[in-house]
Amino acid sequence: MSFIPGQPVSAVVQRIEIHKLYEGDNLILGFSIGGGIDQDPTQNPFSEDKTDKGIYVTRVSKGGPAEVAGLRLGDKIMQVNGWDMTMVTHDQARKKLTKKNEDVVRLLVTRKSLEETVRQSMMQH
Amino acid sequence: MEEYDVPSAASILASVKEQEARFERLTRALEEERRNVSLQLERGSLPSDRLVGGTTGGSKQPLAWQQMVMQEQSPSNQTSLAMMQEPQEVVEETVTIEEDPGTPTSHVSVVTSDDGTTRRTETKDNVTNMKVTKMVKTVTTRTVRQVPLGPDGLPLPEGSSPLGSYTDSIDRRYMKNGERFITPQATSTLTRSYNNYSDSYNDTPDSQFRHYALHDGYGDVPDNYGSLSRGVNYRPYRPYMPTGGYRPENSYTLPIRKDDYGHVAQPQVPMGSSTVDLNRSQPERFQPEPYGLEDDRRSLGPDDEEPYDLEPDYSTANRRTLPGRTIREPLRNGPRMRGYEDPIEAELIDERHPYIHGMYPAPLAQPERGSLASLDRMGGRRSPSIDSIRKDPRWRDPDLPEVIAMLGHPIDPVKSNAAAYLQHLCYENDKIKKDVRQLKGIPVLVGLLDHPKAEVHRKACGALRNISYGKDHDNKVAIKSCDGIPALIRLLRKTSDMEVRELITGTLWNLSSYEPLKMVIINHGLQTMTNEVIIPHSGWEQEPNEDSKPRDAEWTTVFKNTSGCLRNVSSDGAEARRRLRECEGLVDALLHALQSAVGKKDMDNKSVENCVCIMRNLSYHVHKEVPGAEKFLDPSALQGPGSAGTQRKKNDDAGCFGGKKAKEEWFNQGRKNGEHDKNYDTLDLPKRTEPTKGFELLYQPEVVRLYLSLLTESQNYNTLEAAAGALQNLSAGQWTWSNYIRATVRKEKGLPILVELLRSDSDKVVRAVAIALRNLSIDRRNKDLIGSYAMRDLVSNLPSGQQRPAKNLEEDTVVAILNTIHEIITDSSENARSLITAQAIDKLVAINRTSQSARETKAASHVLQTVWSYKDLRNGLTKDGWNKTHFQPIAAGTPKGSKSCKPGYDDTTLPLMEKNQDGYSTIDQRDKDSKYKSSDGSSDLQEREPLKNDTNRKHYIRSNRPTVSLVDACDVKPQPVDSWV
Repeated sequence: MSFIPGQPVSAVVQRIEIHKLYEGDNLILGFSIGGGIDQDPTQNPFSEDKTDKGIYVTRVSKGGPAEVAGLRLGDKIMQVNGWDMTMVTHDQARKKLTKKNEDVVRLLVTRKSLEETVRQSMMQH
Repeated sequence: MEEYDVPSAASILASVKEQEARFERLTRALEEERRNVSLQLERGSLPSDRLVGGTTGGSKQPLAWQQMVMQEQSPSNQTSLAMMQEPQEVVEETVTIEEDPGTPTSHVSVVTSDDGTTRRTETKDNVTNMKVTKMVKTVTTRTVRQVPLGPDGLPLPEGSSPLGSYTDSIDRRYMKNGERFITPQATSTLTRSYNNYSDSYNDTPDSQFRHYALHDGYGDVPDNYGSLSRGVNYRPYRPYMPTGGYRPENSYTLPIRKDDYGHVAQPQVPMGSSTVDLNRSQPERFQPEPYGLEDDRRSLGPDDEEPYDLEPDYSTANRRTLPGRTIREPLRNGPRMRGYEDPIEAELIDERHPYIHGMYPAPLAQPERGSLASLDRMGGRRSPSIDSIRKDPRWRDPDLPEVIAMLGHPIDPVKSNAAAYLQHLCYENDKIKKDVRQLKGIPVLVGLLDHPKAEVHRKACGALRNISYGKDHDNKVAIKSCDGIPALIRLLRKTSDMEVRELITGTLWNLSSYEPLKMVIINHGLQTMTNEVIIPHSGWEQEPNEDSKPRDAEWTTVFKNTSGCLRNVSSDGAEARRRLRECEGLVDALLHALQSAVGKKDMDNKSVENCVCIMRNLSYHVHKEVPGAEKFLDPSALQGPGSAGTQRKKNDDAGCFGGKKAKEEWFNQGRKNGEHDKNYDTLDLPKRTEPTKGFELLYQPEVVRLYLSLLTESQNYNTLEAAAGALQNLSAGQWTWSNYIRATVRKEKGLPILVELLRSDSDKVVRAVAIALRNLSIDRRNKDLIGSYAMRDLVSNLPSGQQRPAKNLEEDTVVAILNTIHEIITDSSENARSLITAQAIDKLVAINRTSQSARETKAASHVLQTVWSYKDLRNGLTKDGWNKTHFQPIAAGTPKGSKSCKPGYDDTTLPLMEKNQDGYSTIDQRDKDSKYKSSDGSSDLQEREPLKNDTNRKHYIRSNRPTVSLVDACDVKPQPVDSWV
């Protein structure tokens, strides 16, 4: 999904609801993220547009909550619980995902294979 | 200065008037008293007085007078207090960036001195009175209190006086000792002043005698009153009457004095408003304002930020501002205040007689008095209240030769007071400084540095600091030529008094701003300053104690001054750099201090700025100057730029995104885009058996993170510039370490940080960053990245046509950016393509055709030729309406090598240095900087608005914004690249 900064972006998105799992004392989601506006987007193997500084799913643990919920490697996370994830730093994204007081995380993700499904336009602020 | 007064002027005037009325009443009462007392005294004490009398006698009277006046002027008191307090701090700034071998780099910056000074708020009716007034003010505080105390039951001025709070602090001190002593002291100085220089001492023995007699007679309690009465009655007479007639002659002398000595009084001028003065008394914060540009430099640290103007209230506000300080402390800062306090506290006991002695003959010699007297004067001068002048026109301050003569007085307090007074006089007054020099006062002051008494060497040092401040290098040379520098260093080693150390290091800082003195300072003081100040205050420990955790740096004034001094001297060329690098513990301590600053996120102060500047200077030409550098010369350098490999780096970076497949993909892509780079791993880091230390620390890849943290976090433009300059220096050479540095900057994600700073409002920051990017792009991988991500920011800094860009960057900056662009597009048609898409051709052609600057034209021309040399781009360019003529040099004589781009290329090594440095020292920039400090973001936006006409650009700008926030959000620590959640 390519976009021009400052322009409205349209993307096909899917809602994914992940129920966090306790692993020891930690609540885990079972995936890892890469990217963020503070990261070098050219390093992102998943993005079409190498200037895309979005947050991408880089690893999904087998059988983990994320996989169970349908999250896939290479998904681009657009929102987390309504929070925009397309213009955030890596750490901001991580924090949004790992809030201790939230057991459920609702993601809005986009992936190539979804492109013919739902259309929803979002504003990039 | 005057501006500050404005708000309060009316109120001051009112209070002054009120005081005047009260004063008159007092005066009458006092006069009576005086008559009685004087008669008694004269009879009783004449014999003893005569001995001493010549000089001192006159002075006593003035004290009394002063007190009287003081009451009147209570409003003015505030001012005077402030004045007294003023410490001077000299700050100098040096420019340190040394990229250019040829350039000496260091710019002497302005040295700032702070003085508290007097106010002029009072009415200026009598010209003649002016001088007197000043004197009066100082005294005033004391007087007020004393009066109430007096047995006579004189009205208390306090209640009415607005000074209230401020008076309190001052008064108290005085009060302890003050009641008794102060008056007499004041007198002594005063007396002198009355007399004409030559005449006064010798001619009027009789009158002097009388004065003394008076003092004696009064006794402690009576002093206040007595002094008052004296002041009123006696003084006038004595001074004027050489022979003995007191009263009739008073009138004459005053006027005369004014004419003659007017210049002496001048120093007061600087103190425009009470507020200002107060501020000054607290040297750190306030100093900057009064001095304008110079001050700024000095106070870039946190202090500066404090609002000067906020406090309407003279008395209290300033003090309050200083959170940590007790009331006393501020006072202490001001040399004068000290003067008052010290003498009083220390030497109160037998003041009168000694005091008299102090003046000159001093058979009775009691040092203390003398000091007091001088102090009084000083105070008096500072606070020139015109009112007081009116009342008692006869006062006069000692003239310069007298003061200098007093430096050699056998009584220590006289010396110290004279020195303190000199400091006051010299404040912001180049003429006086020059006069002091010509009157041979400087060697005497330097001689006093070795004086065993703290009071004396402290005051002497304060005077030297003021004298050394300013653009008149002759003063600095004069200090040097009488071995002042070794004397200062000796004292630094000897004393543990923080205040003295501040003065010493402040003086050294001033001295260090003059090129020829830099090496002298290095020779005499480098190791001492390092051992005595830099290392202990940096928190660095040579052999870290395992039990204790590492100490943080302390941003003391001493450290600030010393680092400022070293910053200056570090710009004195290769030899100076070598000496500093090899100075044991210096680099280690500076690095430790900076790391501590980063750790505490306390990076905007002046000390940090100084440290970074030193580091930058020492990093200059490391690859040529460091012992053993040959061993690290990069053989591949001969092959040209782009030597650093990416492979290993890629491995590291790739960690950001997990899967192996992805990584490989990425690798392949990289191969597609770029040529093969040398493997990072092939750069063999020398194996170390011992921990790195000393100058080697300068160019270890570890420092990159430090500089990047500073670049990310600091709001101080000078610091930003210096940190970028350091990276620029380190990435410049062709040796192993610079290869590492270039790769490390990329690995540490420094490129986005640097690119972000291209949007800085500070010209010099933009320039340093641009040049740093140019050096970094020697690394092929960096070049690709910079070409992709920095191009728009680079281009947006270029002027469009004749109209300067929003930022109005200097020529040097524009040239630096053009050279950087040139470097980036050389050997990379991809980057040239991004240049075109960044809408640069418009601007380049405009610059090429219309710029007033030959250098800009030339640089733009090189870029255009290089662009045109990529045949595959021509088609697109033609479509956009360009043709070959746009890309050819306009001027017939333009560089021949254009096609090869060589001309531009040659510059690459040079660009860093020289021109940039000029920018550093500029005072104007500083001002600008400070203005922007608070509102970085907003100003940024404003400036960019105009660019938005072009839609593309708009997008572009928008897209960039996040980067900005990025910086803010960034942790000092490396970002997590791949996080499990």
